[in-house]
Amino acid sequence: MSPAAVMLTELESDALTEIVNIGVGRAASSLRKMIGDQVSLSVPAIEVVSQRRAARLISEREIPPLVAIRQDFSGPFSGRALLIFPEENSLELVRAVTGDELSVQEVLDIEHEALAETGNIILNSCLATMANMLQRSLTMTIPEVVRGDGASLFEVWDDNDVDGLVLFLYIDFAVRKRDIRGYIAMLMDLPALEALRVLLEEFIARVVGDHG
Amino acid sequence: MAEPFEPGSDDGLRAALAAAGASGTWDWDVRRGRLHVDERFAELYGLRAGPAGEGHPTATFFSAIHPEDRPRMQIAVAGILGGAELFSKEFRIIAPDGSVLWMHGRGQGHFDAEDRTVRFTGLLVDVTERKRTEERLRVAQSAGGIGTFEYIDGFATASVSTEFCRLLGLHPARVLPVRTINGVVCEGGAPIIPEGDHQGVTAIQPFAGEFRVIRSDDGAERWIARRGEIVRDSETSGYRFIGVIYDVTEARHTQERLSLLNETLETRVQEEIAERRQAEDALRQAQKMEAVGQLTGGIAHDFNNLLTIIIGNIDTVTRRLDTGADPRAKRSLENALKGAERAAALTARLLAFSRRQPLDPRPTDVARLLAGMSDLLSRSITEAIAIRIVAPGDLWRIEVDPHQLENAIVNLAVNARDAMPAGGELTIEASNLRIDVEGPPGVQPGHYVAICITDTGSGMSPETLAQVFDPFFTTKEVGKGTGLGLSMVYGFAKQSEGHVQIDSTPDVGTKVSLLLPRSAGTASDIVAAADEAIDSGSHSETILVVEDDDDVRAYTVETMRELGYRVIEAASGAIALQLLQQHDRPIHLLVTDVVMPGMSGSELASAARAVQPDLRVLFTSGYPRDAITRDGRLEAGVDLLAKPFTYQSLAAKVRELLDRRSVAEAQT
Repeated sequence: MSPAAVMLTELESDALTEIVNIGVGRAASSLRKMIGDQVSLSVPAIEVVSQRRAARLISEREIPPLVAIRQDFSGPFSGRALLIFPEENSLELVRAVTGDELSVQEVLDIEHEALAETGNIILNSCLATMANMLQRSLTMTIPEVVRGDGASLFEVWDDNDVDGLVLFLYIDFAVRKRDIRGYIAMLMDLPALEALRVLLEEFIARVVGDHG
Repeated sequence: MAEPFEPGSDDGLRAALAAAGASGTWDWDVRRGRLHVDERFAELYGLRAGPAGEGHPTATFFSAIHPEDRPRMQIAVAGILGGAELFSKEFRIIAPDGSVLWMHGRGQGHFDAEDRTVRFTGLLVDVTERKRTEERLRVAQSAGGIGTFEYIDGFATASVSTEFCRLLGLHPARVLPVRTINGVVCEGGAPIIPEGDHQGVTAIQPFAGEFRVIRSDDGAERWIARRGEIVRDSETSGYRFIGVIYDVTEARHTQERLSLLNETLETRVQEEIAERRQAEDALRQAQKMEAVGQLTGGIAHDFNNLLTIIIGNIDTVTRRLDTGADPRAKRSLENALKGAERAAALTARLLAFSRRQPLDPRPTDVARLLAGMSDLLSRSITEAIAIRIVAPGDLWRIEVDPHQLENAIVNLAVNARDAMPAGGELTIEASNLRIDVEGPPGVQPGHYVAICITDTGSGMSPETLAQVFDPFFTTKEVGKGTGLGLSMVYGFAKQSEGHVQIDSTPDVGTKVSLLLPRSAGTASDIVAAADEAIDSGSHSETILVVEDDDDVRAYTVETMRELGYRVIEAASGAIALQLLQQHDRPIHLLVTDVVMPGMSGSELASAARAVQPDLRVLFTSGYPRDAITRDGRLEAGVDLLAKPFTYQSLAAKVRELLDRRSVAEAQT
């Protein structure tokens, strides 16, 4: 196991997963209200990996180009959040959230906007829930839509010695019976992750202390 | 969302839940902070039923949960209370009887209009059996290095096990895109999981296969075997492909090595046969040489006896001819003698190439030997050829038979002459040569004197070069040469523990190098050649001549008597011994043939020395076999006169022995 993988204990990792799950649940609820249809999202597992490893993980699974909705966050722990889809899935997602009434051209026309909005709902829910559950507040930038391969999304360059850490979440979307998969990634440097870890410790102490 | 329900309020529902394997249900009222459970839940948790509808404190939910799982479950419930929708966890509970059971809790959060969680409901299912089975399966899979997968027709992903990912070097995951899995297969290989949405099941068959993959993490090339089964999916019209993969690289390599061995079997057999054939050829050649050697030895023996008679008698007649005799008769005798001498030279060569000539090695100064040969060489070589002899004074001593060395050099010089019909340059150069560890093939490291005979003649092709040492191989016209020259040189060199090397380039010339091992002796050991004056004997000196060939014996006895010796003769060893024992006067010298029927010359010599210990012995032989030689060289203290001998050579040798005896006696 790499040092990065032992950054979070099993319990901390569980706690983070639950918190993100809440965020994702809120996002699903928001999407449901927005499009008035059954939407369920699930987060199977969470992992802390290096940027390089995250890039490889994505390339192992998906053919570039990838589409990502990107938002930077700052507060007690700062970093960059990414919601990533294979490009072939992004139009599916847009179609799913906009209903099937639109023509191909119309879908293409609003793709960017729809992606930014969907990404904003999901990432915002996650980050806001995290801040809320950890009893802190975060500031977020406006979402941006970017395209590229795993290396460019995770800013992995050969001459880049500093290999930051990535909180990596595999996420399943089920919208209108469509099976769309995506990834949530949060890029944080070591001090940010350490700050997050301390907050998680506090959270665990609160929860377990309550009933323990 | 889900309708609120009263746990345990409906017998029908309870029965349905029990039939579904449910072990209990709960309803967590968030607003009132109470936990309502059904009978089965209460039974599992060992709860006493309180007043109806009152419920239990919410902390009760965690009371029976195994301490190790409790924090994890507290966090999960915190998630639900915090707004998460779904709850699906496996954990252990400790039943009132102390047994540990694995439970799968499935639940759901219920929200009000403001998305606040108001209730948390769910049911527990006993999965202890399944957990144990899973555990066994997990151990079996990881111990056996077996990865599992399940692929549902039409999906882009497959469910896989951790071991499955490990085998392919992929990051561990429970679900992998099929494309990711097939991406590790080497270029052009069949996919591990065929996406059969168009061709259906047939695309997968056969279910067993082997795939060459490049492991994603370390780039290692491995062979992966797949076995599986097709299961009709009851939910959809499609199928599920369930199977396992495992690493068969080692087995595959072994198999490949085996098949490679099989493929090269023929080649290896051919190589083996070729090697064997070579060994057989070498053996045959050796046997041929041995046979030729025996044949020549036998011929030489008889032939030399005959030549002794012929040469001896011509010699005798020539010596007795009056000076006034018919010159034509004299010339005829000279011609006859010349012919006999040529025949003698031929038998000598036959013996030389078959390495059966008795060598008489002596410390030899090559420089002096070469200087002594210059006359002979100028006579044999035409004037059109310039002869150059280079022999430095600091040459090491060697121990060889000087006459045979001369023979070899003359032979090579004559060959060089014949290679230069239009004239050229002949160089005979002697030098010291130190051969270190890495010498030419067949040459032992050590110190040698190299005698190189170089010509500027026509040279030889590699094909010719390969055969030059074969007996009877000749490039000369029929009748011009015997084909024994080089093989004789070769035989002589080998018998002298030396070597012959030959380099030749067509139209440039040939260089033959004789390498002869350096000896420990010094120049002072070198014996000056005896002069050729006839040494007569006296009647006081008695010689016993033993020879089974009557004519040879007659000639020998005749010659001895002519020289003035007192001679007694015997036709066999037995008679000779009798004579020796009966004879009242001392016998000074025993001259005996080596190869005789009955008792051999050397047997006779030892028997005779038993009677008369100081007896001197001179062996005569046309071909002594191994009777008196060791490794082709004369044993120390043994004197041999080779047949055919002449009046002069016999006289000189007998005198030498008798005088040596006198000297020895004088010294004692």
